[in-house]
Order: sequence, then C-alpha cells, then structure tokens
Amino acid sequence: MSPGKLIVAAVLAAALAAGIVLALRSQSPAVPLHATVLEPPAALPEFDLVDHNGDGIGRSAFEGQWDLVFFGFTQCPDICPATLQVLAAAKAELEDRGQVPLPRIVLVSVDPERDTPDVMSRYVGYFGDGHLGITGELAEIRKLTDGLGIYFRKQATGADDYTVDHSAAVLAVDPAGRFSAVFGGQHVVENYLNDLPVIMEAG
Amino acid sequence: MRPVVPAAVLFMAACGSPQPPLVAAGVEVTRPMPGRHMSAAYLVLANNTDGDTRITRVSSPQFASVQMHETTIEDGVARMRELEALVVPAGGSLTLERGGKHLMLMQADDVGKGVTLHFHSGDTLVLSVDYPFPEERG
Ligand SMILES: [Cu+2]
Repeated sequence: MSPGKLIVAAVLAAALAAGIVLALRSQSPAVPLHATVLEPPAALPEFDLVDHNGDGIGRSAFEGQWDLVFFGFTQCPDICPATLQVLAAAKAELEDRGQVPLPRIVLVSVDPERDTPDVMSRYVGYFGDGHLGITGELAEIRKLTDGLGIYFRKQATGADDYTVDHSAAVLAVDPAGRFSAVFGGQHVVENYLNDLPVIMEAG
Repeated sequence: MRPVVPAAVLFMAACGSPQPPLVAAGVEVTRPMPGRHMSAAYLVLANNTDGDTRITRVSSPQFASVQMHETTIEDGVARMRELEALVVPAGGSLTLERGGKHLMLMQADDVGKGVTLHFHSGDTLVLSVDYPFPEERG
C-alpha cells in the first residue's frame, strides 16, 4: 500500500470508530436513573429570607450555579446530618472526577425558631466549605416550601422539646433559578454520582 | 511443633466463660454539633439468649433524656417517632442505624470525651456501653 493510501485508510478507520462511538451514544442517551426530572423546570417562588451570615436573600440567590437544596433543621439528629453528609461526599467525589460545574449544597431550615443564622452558619460549616444555609421568618419559609411542594410540621417529643417532620427530598435547582429535578427518599452517594452530571448536562 | 490442646479443655473453656446475654457492636455516637443539644446513637445489639430481650428504657449520665426512636420515610416525608421498646430477638440481633431505629440523646450535659449508655429491661440493667469519641481530626 502506498503512503497516500495508508493515510486514507487510517482516516477512514478513525471516522468509522468515531461513527460507532456516536451511534452508541445516541442509542443510549444518558438518563437520570434515580432523580425525577421536571419538564419543564419550575421557577422558584419569591421569598425574603436570610442566609447563614444574616444577610438578606431572595430568589435571585439561586441564579448562577446549580444548587442541591435540602429542607431540614439543625436539631435533627438522624436524617438531616446523614443527608448532608451524602451530598457533601457526592460533591467531593464529583470534584475528584473533574466534574464541572459542581453544585452548591443548600440547607433551608424548617425550624427557624431555633435555627438562627449563627446556628446555621456553624451547622453548614461542619459539612464543609461553600454550603449555603437559609433561615428567616416562618411565613417566608412557607412561601418557598409551599411553592415547591415541600411539607413540614412540628411534632412535640416531650414537655418542652420538639422535632420537625419534613419532606426528605433533595431538589436540584438550575443556574436560571428553576427547580429542575428531585431526588426522593433514601439518599445514596451513588445516585448523585450517576444522575447529577446528566441533569446538569441537560439543563 | 504446635502444642495440641485436648478437645476436652477447649470444651471446658467454652463452658467456663459463657457468652454475655446481650452484646453491643459497631457503636457510633454522633458528637453534639455546635449549637445543638441533641445527638444520635447507632449500634447493633446481639442477643445470645433463647428468649427475646425487650429494652424498655435507655439512659445516659451525659444526657438528661434518651429516647428510642424510629425514622420512617413515608410518602417522601421523614418522620421520627418514639418507640416504647426495642426488641432484640432470641439468638438474633437488632440494628440501630441512620434513617431507621436509633437512640436519640437529648439535653446534653458535658459529654466530654465520651458517652455511656445504659440499657434497661424493666428494672434490670441489661447492658452498659462505653463509647469514647474518636480523637478530633486536624
Ligand atoms: Cu430521633
């Protein structure tokens, strides 16, 4: 074979390989296996709350990055820290894998009575850097949760203590500030590793 | 050459030190975080007796109140409810874990370097567990 023909053959082989890769990709488009994607995404409701530094925060704070939003409270000893640990571990692993962009982790308090900005600051800081805590007036928190279908309700556990029942979901909010996917009940790192890149790619 | 231990001696040794009736393994107590007065305890309880062990109360010198709880997620809502008892089945085990049954430790006193848990069945103390906190990282 002449050098010219060799080059032609190599180019053809490369094109064939690329074609196969493309065909395989289009045959099995990556889909989230665990999260439910909202089509179309829903704009967040307006709200007037404070972040963990005590600074005012509204809907626009959700614009500009992907967010994973969880609703819980700092006195919650079991499921809230477990969920935040899962989210922080998933984010760290995605970072190790070179995933860009990475989501911000947001905790919205469903117990603003006890979760002052100061308490929220120390709490979200415990799970790493760059997380956002949101608290404020109960009525304003209700605007946000009602608009997103998030349930919470205070339950007495003793004479002067209480816990809060709350939705266990984690919401993915896109950089346009729209609720675009939801992760349900049991939170596992693997689910986020698999689904988040797909969701963020599509959004 | 390895010394050969007569089977009879092994048998006697096994008889001489019966297994404790209730054993705790994999104990983990979360440290109360800054600004919090609650934490949770997780462990596996194994029952070596041929009767169910019913734990009706748990106490701790480091906490004013300890409750036996179960977290459930129903219709996407996480709830925590107090349990009247923890039943460790005869010859079996009961796992207290995140998002499931757990001990809720409330109104922390000074927890210091660790936590002690006392498991009661009625008026009987059936198990005492000492949990030293792991050394702080960094
Ligand atoms: Cu609990």
